[in-house]
Amino acid sequence: MWFLFVPLALYSIFFLLPSILGIGYSFTDWNSRSMGEVSFVGLRNYIEIFTSDKDYLSGIGHTLMFTIVSNIVKLIPALFLAIMLNEGLQGKGIYRTLLYLPSILPYVIIGILFTSILNYNNGLLNSVFEFLHLGFLKQKWLSDLNVVWKSIFGVDAWRGIGYVMTIFIAGLSTIPRSYYEAAQIDGANFWQRLRYVTLPMLSGSVMINLVFGITYGLKVFDIIYVLTNGGPGHATEVITTYSYQLYSSGHYGMSTALNTILLFITAVVGVWIVKSMSKQEVQQ
Amino acid sequence: MKKKLISALLCAAMLALAMTGCSGGGSSDSGSVQEESAEAESSGSEGSGEAAAVEESPEGAVDADFAGEELSILVSAGWMDNRYDETIARFEETYDVTVDLQTIPADQYSDILQSKLSTESCADIFWIQSNPFAISSVIVDPEKYCIDFSDAGWKDIMPEARLSSCEYDGKLYGLQIWHNSPEYVMTYNKTLFEELNLEIPSNYAELLDVCEKIAAEGITPWFLPGADGWQHQLAFFQIGGVYEEAVPGLYDALNENSATFADNEKMLEVLGQFKELSDKGYFGEDWIGTDSANMANEFGDRNCAMAMANSSYIKQIQEETGTTDEYGLFLIPLGDNTCFPTNPAGPTMFGYKGTEHEELVKTFFDFVTTTESLQEILDNSPAYTNLDVNDDGLEQHWLPEEEEFMNAVDKSKMNTPVLQTGTKYTNDYWGDFGADMISYCQNQCEANDVLKNMDSNRAEAAKIAGDSAWE
Repeated sequence: MWFLFVPLALYSIFFLLPSILGIGYSFTDWNSRSMGEVSFVGLRNYIEIFTSDKDYLSGIGHTLMFTIVSNIVKLIPALFLAIMLNEGLQGKGIYRTLLYLPSILPYVIIGILFTSILNYNNGLLNSVFEFLHLGFLKQKWLSDLNVVWKSIFGVDAWRGIGYVMTIFIAGLSTIPRSYYEAAQIDGANFWQRLRYVTLPMLSGSVMINLVFGITYGLKVFDIIYVLTNGGPGHATEVITTYSYQLYSSGHYGMSTALNTILLFITAVVGVWIVKSMSKQEVQQ
Repeated sequence: MKKKLISALLCAAMLALAMTGCSGGGSSDSGSVQEESAEAESSGSEGSGEAAAVEESPEGAVDADFAGEELSILVSAGWMDNRYDETIARFEETYDVTVDLQTIPADQYSDILQSKLSTESCADIFWIQSNPFAISSVIVDPEKYCIDFSDAGWKDIMPEARLSSCEYDGKLYGLQIWHNSPEYVMTYNKTLFEELNLEIPSNYAELLDVCEKIAAEGITPWFLPGADGWQHQLAFFQIGGVYEEAVPGLYDALNENSATFADNEKMLEVLGQFKELSDKGYFGEDWIGTDSANMANEFGDRNCAMAMANSSYIKQIQEETGTTDEYGLFLIPLGDNTCFPTNPAGPTMFGYKGTEHEELVKTFFDFVTTTESLQEILDNSPAYTNLDVNDDGLEQHWLPEEEEFMNAVDKSKMNTPVLQTGTKYTNDYWGDFGADMISYCQNQCEANDVLKNMDSNRAEAAKIAGDSAWE
C-alpha cells in the first residue's frame, strides 16, 4: 500500500489543498491591492453575489439552463446516430470518424471558425441562405437576444455529439443481437425495441454521458467565451464568465466565492447522480 | 518481487517528473523563462549590489562603468515593440551592457507585474498603462517600489498633462513618451461627403441629418464594431469635456465622490442619442455582432462613411485598400460636443527601487530622453506621427489631415481630459460599461441603470483602494 502514498500526497498538495484554500479565500477581501494581506470578511462576498445589481443570479440561472439544454440537444441525437451507425450502415467507420472529429478541435479554433461562419453580414451560413434564395432564414446569430443561445447550443452540439455518440456505440456493442431478434419475433417495432431492450441495456452509457455532460455544463466557459464572451450585453453570462471578469478586475475574493458556489452546485448534483446510479445498479 | 520493484521505480519516476515540472514552473510566468534565468545568473555573478563606478569625463559628461551589467525591462506587448530596438542597441553598445527585454502578452501583464512587485522580484525597469490615478491603483505603494526621479533632468521634456500620469504625492516616478495624435475622433470619407454635398456635422442634429442622407444611399453612416467589446463606449467617454462643461466641477466632484454618473442629464442625453442612432440602423444592421477586422475594407469599398478611429488610420485605409478617396477628421458630435479628446494616459516606464543597478536605470532614462533617441523612437513608430514631448530639436511627422483638424479645434477646448482617465476608477470598468450600453440598446435596461452600474463599480474599486472619499 505504501506506493499509494506518493500519488495521494501529490493529489492532496496540488488539488485538495488549493481547493480548500480557494474556499477559504472566498471568505476574505483578497484583491489586487492586498499585496499578500487579506482580511476575513465572513459571508460578505456571498451576500454581495446574491444582492448585487450585477445580476450574478442570472449567471447562475444561465449555467443551470445551459447544463440542462446542452445535455438534451447532445444526448438524444447522439443516441439515434449511435443506433444508426451500429447497424449495418455502409462506410460507418468514416461516419464515426467524421462525427468524432469536432470533439478534438480546440475551442479557440471553434471560436474563430464559428464567429466567422455566423457573421451576419458576410458569414458563410447567411451567404448560403441568400444563395439559396432563403434570405428570410438569415439571422443575427450571435447578437440577437432570441437567437444567441440557440447558436451556442448548436455549436456545442456540433462539437460534443461525436464524443457522446462514441460512448453510446461502445454501450450498444455490448447488447447481444439475440435480444433484438427475440423482440422482433415477438413483433416489437423499432420504438418498442428501443424502449424495452436498448435503453435498459444502455443505462450505464447514459449515466456516464449524463455525469460528463452535467459536470461539463456546470463549469462551461470556453464555448461561451470564444463565441460571445457573455454578450450581447450580459445575455449569455454564466458563473465562470462572471468569475473570470471578477478575477481579471482584481476582485479575487469575490471570484473565488462565485467558484465556491459552482463547486457547491456541482457537488450536490454529483452526489445525487452517484446515488441514483448506485440505486439503479442495485435494482439491476 | 518484480512487480514491487517496477511499482517503486514508477513512483520514483513520477515523483521526479512532478518535481522537475514544479521547479520549471516556479520561475516561469510567460515565455521569458530563459531571459529570467539569464538575469538571475547575471546578477549572481556580478558581485551584486555594488554601485557602478561613475566618473566625470574631461568634457563634463558623465561616463559610467557599467561594463558587463544587465538591465532588465518588464513590458507588455505593444508598448515598446520595435520602436525602441535601435535605441536599446545603441545603449548596449555605448555602455557595454545587455538589455534583457521581457515582453509579456498584454492579457497576462497586469497579473505578472503585481506578483513580481509583491514578491519583490521585479525587473529593473517596469511599465504600466498610466493615467493620473494609475500610480496609486496599479503600483499601490510607489514609495516602496519606484525610484524617485524628481530631480531628473528629463522631467521638463514631458508636457504638464503627461506629468500628471507620472507623479504621485509631489514626486516624479515615471517617464511617459507617447504620441498626441487625435485619438478616436470621427474619421470620415471626405470625397464621399463632397459627392453627397454633406458638411461635417458639428452637433447631434446635424449628425442625424447627415446619417439619414448617407443611409439613403445604402451606405452605413457610422461603422461601429460592437463585437470588439471596447470600441463603442468611446463614443460616450471621449467627449468627457462636454459633461464637464454642462456641470462645471463635475470631474472633481466625481473624484471626491460628491457626484454620480447616475442622473447626470448630459450623460443620459448622450446615451439616448447613441441608442437613437442604433435604433435607426445608422451603425449598421448588426453593429453589435460586427468586429473591426474588416473596417478598413468597409471604408475602402465605401460601405461606410464614418468611424471612430485614430488619425493614423487614414494612412492604413489608403495603404490597405488602395482607395483614392480622401479622408478627414472631426470631433464626435454626440451631446453637441466641441471638446478635443485630450488623453494623458499612456504606457509609462518606472525604475524599480529594489534594483541592484539603480545608476544604470537612471542612465537608461537619461539616454532615451535625448533628442537623438526620441527621434529614433518616433522614426521607428510607423503608426505614430509625433511624440508629445517638449523638444524643439525633434522632427515631428504630423499628417496634413491632423494639422487641418488640430487647427480647427479651439485651443481652450483641449484642457479637459477624456472621462475615462480624468475620473478615478472609471477606466477599470470599460468592458462592463460597454456591455451595459449594449444591454441598453437592446432594451434590457434603462440608460440610468448603465450609469448606476458604473457608480457601483467605481464604489467597489474605491473600497478596494481604501479611498477615503468613499468611506
